[in-house]
Amino acid sequence: MRCDHCSSDVPDGVFCTRCGAHQGTTVEFGDAKTREHRYAAHPGEHVAQPSVFTTLFPHLGHHKIHEFRWAFTAGLAGILVLYLAGLISAAILVSAFLVPVLYLIYLYEAQVYRDEPAIVLGFTLGGGIVVGIVVTVLERIIYNPLQYNGNPFSNAGVSIGGLLIVGLLMPVAQEALKPLPALFLPNRSDFPETVDGLVFGVAAGLGFSLAEALIGFSSVLTSLPAHVAPGNWIYDLTTLAVFSPLLQGSATGMIVATIWRYRRGRLGGREIGGVAMAVLAHIAFSAGTQVLKDTSVNALFILIWQAAIVGALLIYIRYLLHHALLDEAAHMGYAETVCPSCHMHIVASGFCPNCGMALTAAPNSIKRGRRPRVESPVQPAEKR
Amino acid sequence: MSPYYSPAGAFPQAPVHRTPWVLIVAAVVGLIVLMAGCGTAIALFNKGGVNVSSGITSDPPSPTPAGSPSPIASPASLSGPTASNDGVTVPVPPGWVVDSKDTEQITLVDPSTAGVLTVASAPSNPTSTAEEQKNSVDQEFTSKYPDTKNCPNSKTTTGSLNGAKGIFWTLCFTLVSGSQSFPAAISAFVGVNSDGSVFYGLLLLTRQDNLQNFINESAPIVKAIQWKLK
Repeated sequence: MRCDHCSSDVPDGVFCTRCGAHQGTTVEFGDAKTREHRYAAHPGEHVAQPSVFTTLFPHLGHHKIHEFRWAFTAGLAGILVLYLAGLISAAILVSAFLVPVLYLIYLYEAQVYRDEPAIVLGFTLGGGIVVGIVVTVLERIIYNPLQYNGNPFSNAGVSIGGLLIVGLLMPVAQEALKPLPALFLPNRSDFPETVDGLVFGVAAGLGFSLAEALIGFSSVLTSLPAHVAPGNWIYDLTTLAVFSPLLQGSATGMIVATIWRYRRGRLGGREIGGVAMAVLAHIAFSAGTQVLKDTSVNALFILIWQAAIVGALLIYIRYLLHHALLDEAAHMGYAETVCPSCHMHIVASGFCPNCGMALTAAPNSIKRGRRPRVESPVQPAEKR
Repeated sequence: MSPYYSPAGAFPQAPVHRTPWVLIVAAVVGLIVLMAGCGTAIALFNKGGVNVSSGITSDPPSPTPAGSPSPIASPASLSGPTASNDGVTVPVPPGWVVDSKDTEQITLVDPSTAGVLTVASAPSNPTSTAEEQKNSVDQEFTSKYPDTKNCPNSKTTTGSLNGAKGIFWTLCFTLVSGSQSFPAAISAFVGVNSDGSVFYGLLLLTRQDNLQNFINESAPIVKAIQWKLK
C-alpha cells in the first residue's frame, strides 16, 4: 500500500511501517501523522496518559508491563504490612529499594545495556548513587532543619530560609548534578537513540534517590526500636516508596533524553521545554511539600500534590519520547522481526504495521533477532 | 502485500521476554523479607531509641500566695546582651544567635547549632487555658511529624516558670525535612495568666540524644526570661 502521509510503498497494515502514521480516517480522534492517540512506545495508550510503567519502562511489551505492575503492587502491599506491624525501619528500607530494584530487573529484561552491563550500570545506577551520596552529605552540612522549623506557637508559619534552601537551591543543584553520570558514559555512542538516553537518565535518578533515602533516614534507621507504633508513617513511606523515586528518575530521565536529542541535532522548543519542565517540577515538588508541611495541611493533600507533579512530568516525558521515536525510527531498514507489543511476526521498518509500536523501543534481544530484508517487501507486488 | 511473515520452523527465534514473572515477583518478595530482617537486626543491634526522661524544670515553690493574678518578676537578673519584643525579654549569652524575632516570639540558636530555643508571649484572643495551648502545640507537631508522642518515661507536670503558671512536658518525634530525618525532642512549657488573656510559651528543640545537654546549656537563659505581659 502507499502511505497516506509519507507516500512510501509499504506493506499493508494499520500503521505505515516507515513513518508510523495511522492509516485511514482518524480525524475523529486525532492527527494521523503525529498519532498522539497512539503512544509510539505503547500504542494502546494515549500520549497524555500519565502511566508510570509504560513511560519509564519503555522497552517492556504489552504483557510484560502487567508483571512489573503486579510486582510493584506486591512491594507496596509489603510496605503496608510492615507499617501496620510497626516494623518501620524495615518499611523504610523496602520503600527506598523498591523502585530501583524493579528498574534493575527491567534493565536486565530489556538488555538496554546490550553487551556492556557493567559499564552502563556502573555509570548510570552506580554513578547516580555516588552523586546522591555526595550531594546528600553536602545538603546535611548546609541545611539544619532545626533552624528552619518555624514558629510552633503560630499555627501557620512558613520558614522562608528553609523554603529557599529545600525548595529552590537543592532541586536546581540536584537537577544539574544528577545527569552527569549518564553524560560521562564512555560508550554512549553505542546508544544513540533518545529512548536509551531516557532509560539511562532514569537509572541515574533512581540511584540518586536510593542514596538520598538511605542517608536521609540513616539516623532514623539506627535509632528506631524494632517495633514502634505506626503513627502517621504511612505518608512519609508513600513519598519515599513512590513519589520521590519517580520524581528523581523522571526529571533526570527527561534531562538526559533532551541531551541525547541535542546530540542527534534535534534541539527544539519541545526539548528545551523538557529541561525547564524537569527543573520546575522538582522545585514545585520540593517547595510545595515544604509549604504544605509548614502550614500543617493534611498529609493526604501533600501526597495529592506530589502525585499531580509527578503525573505532569510523566506526561511531558511521553510527549517528548513519542515525537523522538517518530523521528528516529523512520530511518530503520526493512527486517523480519517480532513485535514485542502485539507479538506478531512482521516485516517492518521502524514501526509495527499491526499495532504501530516504534521498534527502536523494542528490547535488545528482539533487535538482535531482526533479519534484514535485502529487497523491499512490496517489490514482488509491483513486478506483477 | 501482507506485513507478516511465517518464521521457518527450525530457525531459532529470539525470545520476546527474558525474565519469567516468577523471578520478578520473587525479587520483590525477597527484598521485603531481606529488609524486614535487616531492619530488625539494626534495631536490635542499636537497642532502640534514646531514653528521654527529663525536661524544663518548674520554679521552686515560692512564699507568694497561690492564685496570684499576675506573674512576679524573674528571680534571675538580666545582664549582658538581650533580645526583646512586646511580650518577653531574654538574655543572649555569648555564642548564641538570635535566629528570628517578631512581636510574639524570639528564637535563639545555640553556639553549636544543635538546638533551638523559642520563647513566646502574646495576648490570647479568644482567651484560652494552658491545656488548650498545650493541645495546640501537640497538634502542630503531630500534623507535621509521623510519630509524635510523649517521650517514654517522661511526665507532664504543672508548675510555674519565672512566675507564669502552666504545664511542662516533653515530646519525642522524628523530624523529617527535605532529605533529612532524625529523632528529635522538645522540652516545652505553655502557660496563661489568671484570666487566660495572655499566653506564655517556651520550647527547647534538639535531637533526642542531645536534649539533656541542651536543657543544661539553656538553663541560664530560661531562668532569666522576663515576661512583660501580665
